[in-house]
Parts: sequence; structure tokens; C-alpha cells
Amino acid sequence: MRRTAIIAFGLLATCTCVVAKKEPALPAATTKPKVVSLVRVNVTGQSYDYFRPWQKRAPFSKRALGAVLPQGRVLVTADLVANQNYVELERAESGEKIAANVQVIDYEANLALLEPVDKKFLDGITPLEVGLDTVVGDRLAAWQLEQTGALVVTEGLVTSVQMMHYPIEIGQFLAYRMSISMQYRDNSYTVPLVKNNKLAGLLLRYDSRSQVLDVIPGPIIMHFLKEAGSEQYRGFPSIGFSFFPTRDPQLRSFAGQTGKPAGVYVTSVDPNTSTVKAGLQVGDIVTAIGNNEIDQNGNYVDPLYGKIEFTNLLTAHAYPGDSVTVHVQRNGKPMQLNLTLEHRSTKDYVVPPYNLDQPPSYYVLGGMIFQELSRQYLKEWGANWVKDAPQRFVYLDRFQSELFPEGNHKIVIVSQVLPTNATVGYEELMYLTVTKVNGKEIKSLADLAAAVKQPIDGFIKIETEEDPKQIELDAAEVEAEAPKLQQNYGISSLQRLD
Amino acid sequence: MKRYYLSILLVAFCIARIQAQQSTPPSSSAPPKPFAKPSEPAQAIVPVPVGPTRPNGKIQNSLVRITVTEQEPDYRAPWNSGAIGRGVGAGFVIDGNRIMTNAHVVSNSRYLTVERDGDPNKYSAKVLFVAHDCDLALITVSAPNFFKNMTPLHLGGIPELESVVSAYGYPIGGERMSVTTGIVSRIDFQLYTHSSIDQHLAVQISAQINPGNSGGPVMQNAKVVGVAFQGYSGDVAQGVAYMIPTPVIRRFLKDIEDGHYDRYVDLGMTYSKLQNPAQRRFLGLKDDDRGILVSTVVAAGPCAKSIRTGDVLLAIDGRPIASDGNVELDGDRVEMPEVVERKFKGDTVKLDIWRDKQSMSVKIELTTVWPFLIQGHSYDVRPRYVVYAGLLFQPLNLDLIDAYQPNDLRIRHFFDYFVNEQIYLEHPEVILLTNILPDSINTYLTPYRGGIVDEINGKKIRTLDELAKTFAETPERFVIKMVGDGPPLVLDPKQVEAARERIMKRYNVIAEQNLEEQPIATPPEDQKKI
Repeated sequence: MRRTAIIAFGLLATCTCVVAKKEPALPAATTKPKVVSLVRVNVTGQSYDYFRPWQKRAPFSKRALGAVLPQGRVLVTADLVANQNYVELERAESGEKIAANVQVIDYEANLALLEPVDKKFLDGITPLEVGLDTVVGDRLAAWQLEQTGALVVTEGLVTSVQMMHYPIEIGQFLAYRMSISMQYRDNSYTVPLVKNNKLAGLLLRYDSRSQVLDVIPGPIIMHFLKEAGSEQYRGFPSIGFSFFPTRDPQLRSFAGQTGKPAGVYVTSVDPNTSTVKAGLQVGDIVTAIGNNEIDQNGNYVDPLYGKIEFTNLLTAHAYPGDSVTVHVQRNGKPMQLNLTLEHRSTKDYVVPPYNLDQPPSYYVLGGMIFQELSRQYLKEWGANWVKDAPQRFVYLDRFQSELFPEGNHKIVIVSQVLPTNATVGYEELMYLTVTKVNGKEIKSLADLAAAVKQPIDGFIKIETEEDPKQIELDAAEVEAEAPKLQQNYGISSLQRLD
Repeated sequence: MKRYYLSILLVAFCIARIQAQQSTPPSSSAPPKPFAKPSEPAQAIVPVPVGPTRPNGKIQNSLVRITVTEQEPDYRAPWNSGAIGRGVGAGFVIDGNRIMTNAHVVSNSRYLTVERDGDPNKYSAKVLFVAHDCDLALITVSAPNFFKNMTPLHLGGIPELESVVSAYGYPIGGERMSVTTGIVSRIDFQLYTHSSIDQHLAVQISAQINPGNSGGPVMQNAKVVGVAFQGYSGDVAQGVAYMIPTPVIRRFLKDIEDGHYDRYVDLGMTYSKLQNPAQRRFLGLKDDDRGILVSTVVAAGPCAKSIRTGDVLLAIDGRPIASDGNVELDGDRVEMPEVVERKFKGDTVKLDIWRDKQSMSVKIELTTVWPFLIQGHSYDVRPRYVVYAGLLFQPLNLDLIDAYQPNDLRIRHFFDYFVNEQIYLEHPEVILLTNILPDSINTYLTPYRGGIVDEINGKKIRTLDELAKTFAETPERFVIKMVGDGPPLVLDPKQVEAARERIMKRYNVIAEQNLEEQPIATPPEDQKKI
């Protein structure tokens, strides 16, 4: 009764790298090119190879635009500079270049601030102010550059303002959706959208077939900039609970609501969060945040946009540390809870949702490769990772809050086994979750690293959730074989712990 | 019996569909499709085997053509009786006035007729026994003189590799009997796609086998060496066809001697090879290449009481088990489960085990491990379901997965890990809310579709019967908790009662529930000649 394990190493690069990097051949200028508030941004980077976690992948390069902001800063998407090795700014009109640093990056809001090593580099460029007043029906201009440095303007219509998933799928953020017929120039990332010479937003994604463009909007950018000005960047507050609309009268009646239909039904509360401390419970109906009433669909009336999901109140309009009043109905009785907002760090997840600019941790033992399960690892299977990655792991990731309500541990996996004298007979094992090593429970890679140092009668015993359930290695053999293993497979270091 | 999950590559060479036949009528002037043309090109490539011209005698005297009218259950509208289809397969007469064919030829049949060479009559037939787990069936004809002129065929052994065999049947390309020859290419365990979970011995042959060959005999030296049953469709692999070998056929015939087919039995465990020297030393085993490690013991299986995870199996019925899981049986090295494969329900098997560095032996009474069954196809049964408030509840099984093709991760997990994670202990049946028949009482319930019922009013729902029983009560309200973090689904029985008739009428729901896995209809008893 064995299942043939599927070997599917998705080695597809997921980024659309712009390889062409032609220097703009400027003709003798008859008219002075218009100076725009944009610079080109050239990025080279390397992502970590989660299948061979001791190494990085081949370098990629990306070319994009950055919006110049006051105080010598350049705004780009986090997508562009994630896993960067070297970032360079380039003056559009002259081709002059300078190195830049990533000052602040927020992967969840998909925004990053760059700073040239010499601020004078941006002299003469009029910075863009952030505009916050975009509403449905406005026309926004997508600014791109020709190779000559000339501005290319494409106009489009804002068709809706709604809460949307950003590339890192944690919660939802405000976004504009536009209808626009745009052609990409040599910059596939970070196209600024402008209204009345103010930065209305940055391109989040564009589908050229349906000609739909989603925009990271001004209010999210403003929030990011304001938080970036604080001493330590904390990110956007997390909602801390899951909810469901109360359109169904039966559900409302069950929850004890007798008055007019309103609010959202709380289906789960994230463990170890301030939401738990505030006392929010499953079954509560959240009827208002502060003075904003929530209707039975989960929307409040925004002065600018009209009806929009209430989570906007907790992300775009609030900061970590803020205290908000949450009005709930519990068994029909109105209550007020004081919720101190906080940002949920990736470290607080059992399966971290992303891990960028940081090397993955791993531990190689006698040829067995141990890693902590993360979505970044699963994404190695490519765009279709939800279907292609090992389904058990995808399930653990998707339902982590349900499966591990205590929340304070990691899942240690055997990702693969390199054949060595110590691992004869184990070569085909992969995608196992480790429960114990030498009798000790394993809740992190650090636990594993400590436990393997205490063999039982000279053997290291590894217990797994899946078959074969137990794996034994000879501790002395593992140690003796280590240099050969490193040399044979070109493993620079047999472990990397946080 | 080894279990595999569904494979899409192999297709049971079911009965040639009537449509296919209509598209290539034998009398038609349209040229037959190349693959169906029984003439030169194929023979030009495969050398004509040397031997007597009719090595197997006059097979026409033993072969029958079976025409079946079947009705496939509709899992998406389970109250309906299902679409009616027709097809053709082959069968052959064996002793006792019985005709052997494939289970998939007669599955879900409503009416069977049998024809034979040189006889213009169609005879109505009935199914005697059907074994879906090894794709074999026995049918008979009660017309008094039918078997008089028929010659029963006898079973042979397993043919040698590279030896020549002939396959007989009624594949597409014509009306009359067709013969193809080929050699034995491989003898190995294969997935039997009819149930798509059972794995038994099968023999791969190079003889062309096509839809309509199913159930026909494969002969060598005038003896049946197999029953043609499945192969790869032409776009996957060519010249790969399989037959059910005689050990499997004999086992089926023995099983039914008591008048009842009991299915294959199983140990209900998974095991791992013991090839790592350090692991062998840790377990205190000798360096003698013997023993396999018990990984998962299925709690619903026969080993649950006497075998546990971490035991080492050293021998089965006194035959040493090698560290790669093979045992020697009749001079061949076969995988350990083959020993169990040849046994019957209620038989015992002796296992020598090594536990905590002590040897001991245990006797296991073999039985079928029921949780596996949901992962295979079922036939000849009506789908079980409950409709309540326009909500359609159905138990999870492979047929349901095929009908709805759900992408939902949770549903797939419950299906794939039903046995391995012993989900059946908590949910012997996984009850899905598969569909909603829209009505004003359920108009807000769409988001619950695809949910798995966990509890109703605080009571765990373990089976469809429990669900039906619960819905028969009339509490103030039903609070249905689905598996996972979601809102409860709340229903008011009074409102549901008021909506019952109109929902049934609007959607033509003939019955609100079917809890019995009863056979749908027995084939006609009156064996009149048509």
C-alpha cells in the first residue's frame, strides 16, 4: 500500500525578468526633454533556493520606474526590490546612474522606499505629492517612459474602489480598479498613476487581456509613508479575526440579534493576538468600529467611497498601537470592546506566509534535509503551487489557524533525502513532517538541532507523522560522513538556524 | 491487496459504445477507421506467429457477444434513475452453464442479451455473480437449449513471457468475432481501473485489444489464460493491453462457491522497507536482509489488535519476508501482500513479528478493510443522499468526486487521507453539502456549499443515517456546524416543512432521501428468448 511519490520540482522562475537593458541612445536633442518626477530603477537580485536552501538562485534583473517623493526618496513596489542584491537609480533624461538603498519595505502592502546614496542625485526633479482624493469615475494617467526618456501618458478610468488581496495574501487592502488600455514599456514594475500632478497610486497588477489594472492607492501609500517616518516600521494593523456576513436571518436569529440587521458574525479569532485579549469571541456580531456602523454585508459608509468593507477602517485608517472601540452584540446584548491594534508578524504564524530578503533556515543530517514549512517553500512549485505542491503541506498551510490553534510553533519537515552511506534505503523519502527526534517533541528547527545532539545508544531516532513513521541514523556515522556529504553535494554549510 | 489512488491513464476497455458502432457500421461504404481495420498493415509489422492455424479450436462455440443496456447513477441528481446507455462486450462459456465476462461489462446493467455465432436469436441473460474489485462477473442464460451446443472452455495457467496468445472478442470494426494475437509482454501487479483502487496480478499482452474485447478470453493451447479487460488509450501508449490471469479468475470462482462473493481481504496496514543498516541495528535485527517495518495499522483492519506501528514483520505463513517486502511464492519472488491476496474472508494468516527485540507470532483473521471502499468506484447501487431544505447532503466517495470534481482542499484532504489519517473513526461517512436547490429558505446559504457536516445541535454526525434521523426531529432550530472555522448553518424546521413540497415539486425531486445501498433493479428474471 504505497503511494508513488510525485517528484515535481518546479524550477520555473516566477518572475518576469526584463533582460533587455539597452542604454537609451539619445539623439541630439533639439528640444529639451520634459523633466518628469520619475527615475528608472534597475534591480539585480537573487532569490533563495528552497530546494537547495544553502544556495541562492541565479541572479535576475528587473527594470522599472520609481516615483520621486519629497526628501529625496523614491517609491517603488516591494515586488520589485524583494531579494535584491543591488539597486540603482537612473535619471531618465540623462542616463546618469547611482546606487540606492532600500530604506523601508512592506511586503504585505507591496511598497518600498529607496534612497540614493547621494541625495543630490535627485536634484532638479520635482517630487510628487501623494493624492488621496481619487474616487470612482476619476481618470488617472499611467506614467511611463520612452527609451528616450520622454513621458508616455495613458489615461484610464477608475471603475471601482474595493478591498483586494495583494500579492502576499495576508488580509485585504484598499485598491482602485481601473479600465485602461496600456502598453508596457521596458518597465514591468511600478508604474505610477497620476491625477492632477499628484501620485494617485502605483500599479499593483495589470491584465492586458481584460485591460484591468489594479492600483495600490494613495491612502495606502500615505499610511506607509507616515509609518516609515516613525522610529521603527511596524506595518499595517492586522484584523485579528475572521468574519461572515449576517445576511441570513436564521444566522442573525441564532446569534441573538433581534433589531435591525447589522454587523458581521465572528467565525474565528486569531490565537495569541490583541483581539483575543480584547475579549472578542466566536459568535459575536461586530456592529461598529468606532463611530462607523457596519451593515450586514460587512460594509461601512466611507465619506469618500461610499460603501466599502469595514476592514479598511483597521488598515488604511489605523496604526499599530491605536486603540479602537469595537461594538459587538453577544447573544443579543450590546457590548463594547477596546481593541489595541497590532501588526501580526510572520514569526507569529505556524506556516509563515512569506520570507523574503532572508535566507531560509535548514538542517542537513546525514543527507536528510530538514526545513521549516513555509509558504515561500510551497511557492517554489510555481504559480500553480496550490495544486502542484505536496497537497498535505498546502492543506497544513491553508488551515493552519484551525489545525494549530495554540499557534506557537513551526512545522519541521523532511524536504528530501540525499543518498549517502548513512541514508541508504531512505533515498525515496520526502515531504514528511517530523514529530519527535530522540523522543523529544520538535516544534522548531532549533528543537531539532538540539535534539539530534542527544542520540539514544548511538542512534538518532526521527519520528514522522507520515509513513515510515520512524527513521534511524547512526550518530557516529552521520558525523564521520559529514565532510564527504558537504563536498560531494557542494553544500557550503550543513545548517542555518535563525 | 494493494490500494492505489485513481489513475487516469488506464481505461477499462469497456464495452464498445453503441454510438461508436453507429459511426462505423459494418455495411457502411465509409472506410473504417484505420485502427479498426483488421488487415495487412498490423500484420506487416508483427510477424505472424508460427503454429497451427487454429491452435485454440473453434472458439465460436464458446464465445458470446453480450449487449448490455446500463443505467449509470447520477450523483448530481441522485433521485433520478440516470442516463441509459448501451454497449457490447464479450464473454465465454465455462462449466456449469455459466458465462464469464468482465464486471465492467455488466455493471449497472438493466437488461442483458447474449448472442452466439450462427444463431439469429438474442437470449436474455442475468448476472449470477459480480466481483467489482477484480473486474470479473458470471452471467447465465436460462433458455433451455442455449448451452447445448456450446463448448465450455477450461482454464490454463500463467503463460510464459514471450509466448503467443490470442484474444477473442467483439471489438469495434465489425459485427462478428475478431481474433488478434500477440505475446506475453509482462507479468506484474496492476491497478484494476474498474474499481480504480484494487491492485492485483495482471498480464500485459501485445495483442490488440479494443473496446468490445472486454470479457473475451485470451487463449493459449486451447486453454483460457486470461480475460481481456483494460489497456491504455491510444494517445497514451500503444500495444499495451492487459488481461486478468487465471489465479485471479480461479480465486473468484472459489470465492463464489458458497453462493456469495466476499471481496478481497486485506491486512489493513502499510509497511516500509528495512534496507538501512543503522535502522536494522537500532531495531536489533540481524544483518540477514529480512523483515519489513510496520508503518500504519488501520484501526478498522484485522491487524489493529495484534500489530502495531514499529513492529517488524519477519515472515508470513512461514515464508521469510525480505527487507524489500518480497516473499517467495511458487518459485517466484512476489510482494508480501500476494500471500494475503490468495486468501479468503475468514482465512487466517500467521505473522512472525519482531517487537522490542523479541520475536513472537500472531494469527490474523482476514477481512475486508471497509474504509478503503470509499476510495473506489461502486456499481449497481443507488447513490445515497438526503435532501433537506433544498440542501443536498451526500457521503464522500470516489463517484462523488468524479461527479463534482471539487477543488476544495479540505474535501480532497478528507478523501485522500480518509484511511491514512484514520478520519473514518470520527466520520465513518464524510457528509458533504454538495448542492443547494435554490428556494427562499436557503437563499443565503450558498457560501456553505462544499462544507462537511460536523455536528448538528452539538451532536456529532457520523453517518448519513444519523443525519436523516436528526432531520426527522423537530427542535426549535437546527444549528449545523461544518468542519473548520466557519459560521454555523442555521435552519428553522417549521419553515423547512412549509417549503418541502414546493422544493420537491419545483426540482422534480422524486424522493427526499435514499439511505440504502440497495441494488437498483435485478435484471429480468424471465429468461424468455426475444
